[in-house]
Amino acid sequence: MAMKSTLSRRTLLKSGAGAATLAAAGSLGAPLIAQERSLKIGSYGGYFENSLKEHVYPKFTEATGIAVESVTQPNSSDWLVTMQQAANAGNVPADLSLYSRDTMIKASRIGDILKPMDAAAIPNLKYFDDYYAFEDKAGTIGVGAMAWFSAMVINPDEVKTPESWAEFWDTSRFEASLGISKLFNSHFLDVIAATFFEGQETFKTKDGIMALIEKAAEIKPNVALWWSAESQMEQGMKNLDIVGGMYYLDVAGLMAADGFPIKPLFPKEGNPGDYGSWCLAGLSTKGGEAAEFVNFSCDPTTQKLMSLMIGTAPLVSQEAAGLTDAEFAAVSGTPVIHPAYEAYLDMETFIQESWDKMLAGA
Amino acid sequence: MSVETADPPMAPPDVDRGPGLSGYFMVRIAFCVAVAALCLLPFLMVIAISFGEKVEGAGWHFAFDLTNYRRFFVGADWPNSTSTLYLQKLGWSIYYAVIASVIAVVSAFPFTYFLTRLTRKAQTLWLVFLLSSLSLSEVFIVMGWDILLSARSGLPMVFQETGLTQWLKDMGWFDTLRDWGLASPRNVKFKTSVFATVLTMSYLVWPYAVILLYPALSRLDPSLIEAARTMGARPWTVIRTVVIPSVKLALIGTVLLLFVFLLGTYVAVTVFAAPAQQTLAVSIYEAVRGATLNAPFGSAQAVVLLVTAVILLVIGQKLSTAGGKG
Repeated sequence: MAMKSTLSRRTLLKSGAGAATLAAAGSLGAPLIAQERSLKIGSYGGYFENSLKEHVYPKFTEATGIAVESVTQPNSSDWLVTMQQAANAGNVPADLSLYSRDTMIKASRIGDILKPMDAAAIPNLKYFDDYYAFEDKAGTIGVGAMAWFSAMVINPDEVKTPESWAEFWDTSRFEASLGISKLFNSHFLDVIAATFFEGQETFKTKDGIMALIEKAAEIKPNVALWWSAESQMEQGMKNLDIVGGMYYLDVAGLMAADGFPIKPLFPKEGNPGDYGSWCLAGLSTKGGEAAEFVNFSCDPTTQKLMSLMIGTAPLVSQEAAGLTDAEFAAVSGTPVIHPAYEAYLDMETFIQESWDKMLAGA
Repeated sequence: MSVETADPPMAPPDVDRGPGLSGYFMVRIAFCVAVAALCLLPFLMVIAISFGEKVEGAGWHFAFDLTNYRRFFVGADWPNSTSTLYLQKLGWSIYYAVIASVIAVVSAFPFTYFLTRLTRKAQTLWLVFLLSSLSLSEVFIVMGWDILLSARSGLPMVFQETGLTQWLKDMGWFDTLRDWGLASPRNVKFKTSVFATVLTMSYLVWPYAVILLYPALSRLDPSLIEAARTMGARPWTVIRTVVIPSVKLALIGTVLLLFVFLLGTYVAVTVFAAPAQQTLAVSIYEAVRGATLNAPFGSAQAVVLLVTAVILLVIGQKLSTAGGKG
């Protein structure tokens, strides 16, 4: 049905004064009416999606004439369930979706949820490290969109700046004061591995994972909030329910810019860095448009735009993106703690249940 | 709540006469099919999925696998290690639901009793007010209490500003609160705590308690109370020996209904309960929609929760009838 209406619209546009309308609508960015080509793109709701809608999609429409309809994703794993059910029902809500690396690999293993993109149609991939173009048996399943950090945050009015994550374990300073994500795959375990153990190596055995979780248990007296939704952490920091913890670098930066008492830091062990990928839905008929958008997204200029407007880290180098040192420091930092993705996938039930047991004290 | 089964559907007196029969019959068939499709099918799906098999690092597929049920009782790592994690979560589900529904009914009872003694007009106004408060969603109520209990905008701020926090510290009682998890080194804190969870949950169902108790209490014959009073019974004795026994069934029924209602509370628990005190409802949601995509295990937990609820309801009903008529 969608195909048919697109075709008739196309004919109409070709025959009439469509081009002028197209250009006018294109500069406005949003309306689907009188647009020849369009694309539905999913992204995480709230500030993130709004920034994309306001600053990135209009530029893309201007450059290509492809209208973008923004679709709200709650996060990536929840969205995967939605997309899987939608695929079974034969109608997907978005052509392109944003998935974190582990969710993307999971989607690829489940099969039929994603479909490969034409890498040849994405020449700007040359600016990216190969790591960010994820390939499975079918082809290029996901292309990096932007990177983000979970960072150590503190309330600078209440706490002295810690130099290491290890200081959060000091109950004399942080009793019932911290906010940490309650989800097993929030990369807090990666922080522990980098701070007290051998990093990703420690994730290779069940004993190693248990050691990480036992270390996490030691911080429990200091954690006042095990948050599951971003907004809980945001409220907690604003309300002084907590004075430190782990939170997204981009959101923390935005809150600080709004005058709230929060300061993101890079302690000596660094912060966990993760990234999102654009993935094409298996049922999408907009492969061509999607490739054009992904190509646009890979452009260093777009990477810079996203860093400045959303606060995400670029997937190209600072030089390629043309960010000043101050601009780059606001969205990125070193060292980067790389998550142990394979362990989170291959031992997910074990890690999840052991982590939940630790939280429950069972 | 009606604990007895309803009478068989009333058949119209002329059911076996004339052409009306087939029409009536068709309506009944259609109704049954609709009920089956809307209620039974999703329910059967949950049971079917609960036997599904989880694939590590991916999704799941239909199978006949009892692992999910075994995991509920002994954990995923069995036989290497045993875990009572999910039994503990079930325990919290029951604990919150019981305490919160009892608190709601115990506090709503005197209120409703005095409400029925008011003028007709005042009663109507109160009932309309309570009914309209039911339109507030759980999310809205939790948000409200979240603000009321927050460090900077709520009760802890009142403690701080009025000097109560300092007074508690001077008296040495502050450390006791810290031991109970109701204070950080800086001030009292009510989030996260069992206290906040139970408070919000009973608040959530309090209007239901009043509305469910109202019919029984308003039907109470005032002459019974007057008779007891004339014979010299003190007010408390009247309440204890006349009022409560005559509405006993309504009281127990209300507790049971609110209990079942509260078993599935999600928002209040995620916001106010620490992970160590979270319920099966949260665990079910996380299994189905969370990162592990483990719908089979989520379904198995849901089935266990359902079976537990049914068992507890049956026990509750037995207890309420075993006592005989008061």
